[in-house]
Amino acid sequence: ATADQGAVNNATKLGSGDTVLRGDAKCTACHDGEDKFGPKILKIGLTKHGVAADGRTPTCTSCHGESEAHLKGGNKPGKPKPDRVFGKNSPTPANEQAQACLACHKGGNRTHWEGDQHASNDLACSSCHEIHTDHDRVRDKKTQPEVCFTCHKEQRMDSRKISHHAIGEGKVVCSDCHNPHGSAGPKLLKKNTVTETCFTCHAEKRGPFLWEHQPVTEDCTNCHTPHGSNITPLLKSRAPFLCQECHDGPHASQTPIGRNAAGIQGGLTPTLPSETYVGRACQNCHSMVHGSNHPAGALLQR
Amino acid sequence: AAEDESTGLKMPTNYVEVGAWYTSDSSAKFGEYTGLDDSGLDLIGNFSLSGGDAYGDGSGATRWTVKGTDLGLTSRNLGATISNQGQWSLGVGYDELRHNISDTYQTPQQGKMGGNNFTFPSDFGTINAQSSPSARVLDATYQVPAFHTRDVHTDRKNTSFNAGYNLTPQLSLQFDYNHLDQDGAKLLGTGALGGISAYGTTWRAEGNNVIMNPTNYKTDTFSLALNWIGDKGYMTGSYYGSIFRDGYDSLSLQNAFLSNGGTPCAAGGSCTYQTIVMSTAPDNSFHQLNLTGGYAFSSATKLSGGLSYGRNTQDNSFLTGQPEIALSPRASLDGKVITTHADLKLTHQANKDLALSAVFKYNERENQSPSNIYQYYAINNVSGVDYAANAPYSNRKTQFEMAGDYRVSKGQNVRLSYEHESIKRWCEHYAIDDANCLVNPGNDEDKLSVNYRLKVREDLSFKAGYTYGKRSADFEGNAITPLAGLDTATPDDVNAQNFPGFIAFPYAKRNQHLFKAGVNWQVSDRVDLGLNGRYSQDDYDATLGVQNGHTAGINLDATYAYSEKGSISAYASWMNRERKLKSGCSSTSATNPCRDTTPADNTASSYDLLIAPDNIWTNLLKDDSNAIGLNVKHGGLMGGKLEIVGDLSYSLDKSQYSTQVPFDQRAAPIDCNDPSSLICGALPDIKNEVFTFKLTGTYQVDKTSKVAVGYLYQKRNSDDYYYNGYQYQYTPNRIMPTNELAPNYEVNVVAVSYIYNFK
Repeated sequence: ATADQGAVNNATKLGSGDTVLRGDAKCTACHDGEDKFGPKILKIGLTKHGVAADGRTPTCTSCHGESEAHLKGGNKPGKPKPDRVFGKNSPTPANEQAQACLACHKGGNRTHWEGDQHASNDLACSSCHEIHTDHDRVRDKKTQPEVCFTCHKEQRMDSRKISHHAIGEGKVVCSDCHNPHGSAGPKLLKKNTVTETCFTCHAEKRGPFLWEHQPVTEDCTNCHTPHGSNITPLLKSRAPFLCQECHDGPHASQTPIGRNAAGIQGGLTPTLPSETYVGRACQNCHSMVHGSNHPAGALLQR
Repeated sequence: AAEDESTGLKMPTNYVEVGAWYTSDSSAKFGEYTGLDDSGLDLIGNFSLSGGDAYGDGSGATRWTVKGTDLGLTSRNLGATISNQGQWSLGVGYDELRHNISDTYQTPQQGKMGGNNFTFPSDFGTINAQSSPSARVLDATYQVPAFHTRDVHTDRKNTSFNAGYNLTPQLSLQFDYNHLDQDGAKLLGTGALGGISAYGTTWRAEGNNVIMNPTNYKTDTFSLALNWIGDKGYMTGSYYGSIFRDGYDSLSLQNAFLSNGGTPCAAGGSCTYQTIVMSTAPDNSFHQLNLTGGYAFSSATKLSGGLSYGRNTQDNSFLTGQPEIALSPRASLDGKVITTHADLKLTHQANKDLALSAVFKYNERENQSPSNIYQYYAINNVSGVDYAANAPYSNRKTQFEMAGDYRVSKGQNVRLSYEHESIKRWCEHYAIDDANCLVNPGNDEDKLSVNYRLKVREDLSFKAGYTYGKRSADFEGNAITPLAGLDTATPDDVNAQNFPGFIAFPYAKRNQHLFKAGVNWQVSDRVDLGLNGRYSQDDYDATLGVQNGHTAGINLDATYAYSEKGSISAYASWMNRERKLKSGCSSTSATNPCRDTTPADNTASSYDLLIAPDNIWTNLLKDDSNAIGLNVKHGGLMGGKLEIVGDLSYSLDKSQYSTQVPFDQRAAPIDCNDPSSLICGALPDIKNEVFTFKLTGTYQVDKTSKVAVGYLYQKRNSDDYYYNGYQYQYTPNRIMPTNELAPNYEVNVVAVSYIYNFK
């Protein structure tokens, strides 16, 4: 047996009276599933933290502290709480709660946790993760958004607009693009840049193209709003107006556009609505806005 | 018995759910991502099975899980994992996602959705494209019947595999692989020679045809990481690879606005059509090496950071033999982009009250692709051959942030931060004498933030923050941009052919203010309240271009647990956004006049004369979003056997554009309220309204069986002028109708399923 296999074997021995974890007897003597916390305490046995045969598996006091005062308090009302209590209304400072987890969960996705957005806003791991259950909602695609939307309300509203990623449908989740534990990218994105993150799923837009569209090479969010939009597909604005935010010289980009863009049905009397303005407007012809690899595609038409 | 019960708590609950959905009406939008887009029955199939000797009183570390969800729908998902915790793990997964694009799109062209070749019936003829809408008719015998409706959608099928192995307690390997297989199509506008005469002159005669652009893509993604964890430090070295392949090298379609000979041909007769060939997404690869890590000098002082080096290449053969190509100096791009990244973060807990941090980030995208001058014919083809140099855009962004978080008193913190961001842009080896290809070679931005957090009590907290940002911009109006008149001896278009004073908003000088505040109050054990809001204001320092914009939002959430068995939660959200654009116009045309035709400068072709007080126009975008929702959960009914969950939600989103031309056009001003106005006035609201009611009841038949019954009603009212221009007999004179409609629907769904639970 290797050294670490030996460690696992040693770890399998639960002490006398232990219910789920090594040395939990002093806790489960009271927290036996019949107390006010109910059976959920023991459900930690269903989680990765409940695999006693894994030598790394913690016990109650690994996370909650030795909690001597709490233990000595017996069943007296108002007795001191454990040294570390987790949850949004906990008296334990968020950073102290997080450090209890980070003592084991070092590196990897948590490399940038210290000082990052969530850490510096008094969030702890338990603000999002549920430890004593086999169904941690934030790790389930179907339920993760409702956990994130607890704080991110604007994204909740955006995700229900007519153009949206399949977030509410549980097919695309926040953590597909974001690393809530901290990142080197903007807006807690998993990748180093916005474009790198988007190309993970939209690699057809990566190029490099013969004819590049400058804002596309820098940041997809120059034109798109990824959580949802009233303008398909996930656009901040609509052509031709979107295009006119960057162009007002070539072709028709300098021309003011009013009812023309709404066509005759939009109130324009029967005159000449322009294909330059209606529907896709500029993109009726300049459709290769993410870049073109056609030798005649300089105007992003081919 | 108690021991059995505690053992039971350590055993996973498996379940199998089988049933059926009934959907009352077909709607691509209603079933956009769920697969419930066709009326009728669909299978409900979900299951989760788990086991292994790490459960219950087992003394092992092995666990396995097999899961499946939505198996009867196009959003199905299957996955399996097995691990010996602390030793190794394996996982496989399969996931499908269909994205419905449209079920009202019509085309007269033949060719399958997802294919890359679209043709007209040989007797379709060219379309009658008159300048007067009332005269725009398609031939009733040969052309109108050719139009048929196509369901347009894309399918994404992900197959994944992952494996992890702990070499030692400190050292572990992780491998992840994903294969994404896409097919289907998205709608794409295409332009071609139209050659239509309007107002007695041959205009720039594009003909437009919205086509089903195939998404025949395959993307393989790999990641291999070696993780090391020590007492004080940790490090991960990894390789990330992404290889994209497109099943098609081109997209061909026929042009019904002209025959191949350049003249119209009558419907009913034989016609040889001009064929247009569009490029498709080129195959490309991205390979990246990453190193990240951290070190704790002490419990108070920690360092973390990372390095990345990426290589993105693309060398697809260019299309050849197309009439629009006058000169292609290369057979392929031999494109190469190198991305480099570095970041470093130092955090220090100076004392129990003060936390400090300093962050540095560096990102560079260096496009090393060769630049050449290409000669081509634009689709309007009125000015003969055009010249353009491809510009391989590169940029470098550096960021530095310092922050201090001070605990004023218990539960009361103030965080101050300063951030500087600098971005430089350039084109390496630009074909035009290494000239600058950009009018906006750089920006610098400084941001100062102050955030206040107050935890009044364990059940009451308040947050507020303000950020001020100031962005400066370099400007090089004489830069020779890719299309800047290269067909003349000396490029003569300044400011990327834009008016002097016009600056694109991503690069303009900007002042930004952001305010945000929020309060969370747990009124009692049963009542939770949350209120937060945000307001941001952007002011751009540009004579022309985006002038300013703001975003405001307020959200209110409340939860009331009225009993141990029941709770009610509700929310209301409101958001408003505005953007004001100012631009200049030089048109003196009969249809789109926006300048007085008398001053002499109006005849000048040089753009430096085009700024005048009589040709400035503005456009205002207003976005309004409102949403409310109510959720009720009630259990313990019928002797504790029935649980009911109800959801009610309503959302209304509106966007409106309005254009004003506060100057005299020609001799007589145009009334923007006149319905004949082409160039100004308010467009109809782009409006989307959705009402949803959902009720689900789950009845516990016995210890192992449940029956779930669900009902969903959803109604969408969508009003969008976007679709107007594509309607038959309402299209502009050179657009092939698609008759696409805004997605209005009213759908009822009933679901019944049986759930079997077992340990």
